[in-house]
Amino acid sequence: MYGFHGRYARFDLTTGRQEILPLPESVLRRHLGGVGLGAWLLHREAPPRVDPLSPEAPLIFCFSPLVGTPLTTSAKLAVVGKSPLTGFVSDGLSGSHFAIAGKRSGVDAIVLVGRCAQPSELVNGALRPTSLWGCSAREAAEALAPHGRVAAIGVAGENGVRFATISNDGRHAGRGGLGAVMGAKRLKALVVDGEQVTPVADPERVARLARELSRRSLGPETAKYRELGTVANLMAFNRIAALPTRNFQSGSFAGAEALAAEDLQSARERARSTCASCTIGCTHIYGFNRTDRTRIEYENLFALGSLCGVSDADAVLAASRRCDELGLDTVSAGGTIAFAMECGERGYLPEAPRFGDGAGLLALLDDIAQRRGLGDLLAEGSRRAAIQVGRGSLDFAPQVKGLEIPGYEPRALQTMALGFAVGTRGADHNRSGAYELDFSDRVDRLHGDARAAQLALETEDRAALIDSLILCKFLRGVFEDFYADTAELLQAVVGWDVSAAELQGIARRIVSLRKSFNIREGWKPEDDALPERFLSESLPDGTADGARLTRECLQEMIRSYNLARGWTERGYLSASVLADLAVDSQPVGI
Amino acid sequence: MGRDKAWLPWRDRPLVAHVVEILRQVVGEVIVVASKDHGLPPLAACVVRDRAPGLGPLAGIREGLAHLRGDLAFVCATDAPFITPRYVEAMLAFGCAAAPDVDGYVQTLSAVYPKAALEHAEALILAGRMRPLFLLEALHYRRVPARELPDLQSLRGFNTPDEYLKAVREEDEHAVATLEFLGRARLAMGCRTLEVPVGTLAEVLSRAHPTLELLEGERVARPFLVSIEARAFVRDASIPVGPGEHVIVMDASVGG
Repeated sequence: MYGFHGRYARFDLTTGRQEILPLPESVLRRHLGGVGLGAWLLHREAPPRVDPLSPEAPLIFCFSPLVGTPLTTSAKLAVVGKSPLTGFVSDGLSGSHFAIAGKRSGVDAIVLVGRCAQPSELVNGALRPTSLWGCSAREAAEALAPHGRVAAIGVAGENGVRFATISNDGRHAGRGGLGAVMGAKRLKALVVDGEQVTPVADPERVARLARELSRRSLGPETAKYRELGTVANLMAFNRIAALPTRNFQSGSFAGAEALAAEDLQSARERARSTCASCTIGCTHIYGFNRTDRTRIEYENLFALGSLCGVSDADAVLAASRRCDELGLDTVSAGGTIAFAMECGERGYLPEAPRFGDGAGLLALLDDIAQRRGLGDLLAEGSRRAAIQVGRGSLDFAPQVKGLEIPGYEPRALQTMALGFAVGTRGADHNRSGAYELDFSDRVDRLHGDARAAQLALETEDRAALIDSLILCKFLRGVFEDFYADTAELLQAVVGWDVSAAELQGIARRIVSLRKSFNIREGWKPEDDALPERFLSESLPDGTADGARLTRECLQEMIRSYNLARGWTERGYLSASVLADLAVDSQPVGI
Repeated sequence: MGRDKAWLPWRDRPLVAHVVEILRQVVGEVIVVASKDHGLPPLAACVVRDRAPGLGPLAGIREGLAHLRGDLAFVCATDAPFITPRYVEAMLAFGCAAAPDVDGYVQTLSAVYPKAALEHAEALILAGRMRPLFLLEALHYRRVPARELPDLQSLRGFNTPDEYLKAVREEDEHAVATLEFLGRARLAMGCRTLEVPVGTLAEVLSRAHPTLELLEGERVARPFLVSIEARAFVRDASIPVGPGEHVIVMDASVGG
């Protein structure tokens, strides 16, 4: 077999027993790797309705056929599990040397189940007590570096914060709280290493394709990521009133200029870095508070900046770095704190900091990670916190299915509103690229249209494929014919005679497979919804002044989306889709 | 025209707002009929949404008449930049269904319809006879020779970007728009904004530094997004940019 090992490791942390289990080629060809294979393994390994923080819940590190090849951005892995934040599927991607080392350990995936008797580290298959409990993920990685590549949790994961991350090479499998799953297993770090390289089917062709992909990756389609990084979104979104501000109370932020990438560039010490095996180099690192430095992404900048009303760039950069150190998902951290700030202003949580309070924001991050005071409530995420607070606050908790909404204002980007509502992870800008349509001349972004459902679905399918191969989504603009081009990559690496049409079918299957897991875990049609705020309050500002997403429009978009997927009108899987999934554990709920 | 005429800047306001203001000088009640999702600027008028979009102007006239409180309506399209109060007054003075005849063509969208036309309009729509002229004929309308009417420029519209831009330049030969740069465009230009003469979008974008390469032929280049007044995004660079408008240039890769 080329490109795969054809097996995965299953490690029971309770017993210390490791099994190597086969992954038949038929399974690999239907699900590839990354989020696709991860979803298949999750179906297989997770008992129905399992508590994600229980020993029985699996935590899956999934590699992919392209890892270890010279193809740019291919050094990525997916961490998959049941989210403690949403109760549904969660898969986080990150690009790192951990992916390369993990695959070289001789398996296509590592599944962790059980719970260690005491805080531990799993080092190349050997489970041992750890002295690193209480350290940051970075400190743990540095301490364990002599043994291999490290995926570790920070203090937030140890303390069961429901939006804790798993860090590797300073990158994070961020969304959905899988760091809390790892923490619940009392596992501080997973260390991998090995020399088992998987051969590729056609080395010369792979080398040629890799050169061509690298060349394209340096073209104009990725120039923004190289020159400014994702932070360039901030001013663009602000200009079109799509920048979530003060807990989604408006779409533009008076303090945005102070956080503008265009100005951060000139005013601060700056450096760039890349993920492993990447030619794009989207990571931009800025100096702050005279001596400190941190990487910054748009999602950090919006969530800890405009969403919390903070325009002090030093405070936002410091908060971003603190999230990395503690192992907190920045979007959920910012979203939950912004929710608390609004509760504070309404008198529901008098002890919460107010919008614009950068110091209060920074202090609250530590309280959340340590589960101290108000932080203990907020460590549960905005949905659970809102249920505790009551007084109708769930209407303005900025989440879908429990996952905090990323930096795309749904009323100003109404195709993305659909993407958020139907997302299997919850509000998700990585598994759906519906916003690409809002930023085009193909739809009216201020008036949701059911006819856009098919287009939104196609962005989701492309994401499912790219996240299963795995390649960085920032490459998506460089492909001339996405499915044909990626089929060629797969042919060269794995040797399958795979066509563009087959890859489209795989992509759709993966989306349905994730949905089937959610249905099995209790998903109901009413879970595909947005908070009441977005349906009853108009945007008050800028060019989106008065923009409102009506309930009827959203429901019609969702209905069209479900039918376009071949599901039932309400979003359950039809018999033909179910038959195609062929998972061991059949979903229920039609 | 390639873009929504209702929003075209004309005499310091969107064209639809200009037409509403002219009508308000003559009548006390102005009704604007638009399709369900048609975004409109703030208007000093009653805005009603077409219940049956896609059926053409007769359905729009029907919708307007249904909301009309008075007995007689002057009906015109958004695309009436040169309409004058004198022309509207003259048409309404006929007191019955009336339409101008210009070189043998009846101008049904610069005409007068009585409230009583509503039931005729309903019947015609049911019968699938969708031309406004059928409604005028059912009403035994008065066909007014153009020479009998004042301010015949009232019947003139903008049909192409060139016609619009020519009219704009006739009004103000120094009319300007503003290019607004975000992201890489701002870095490359070294400034946030640049005032440029009005023109087609291609002409406006060509005023930016050529190294930016904002255009691919008559289209906006793929690495960039362009929005006029931060509403819709546009790719077609043949559309006109009017006086006072902001053309926002940003990076196309918006994912983060």
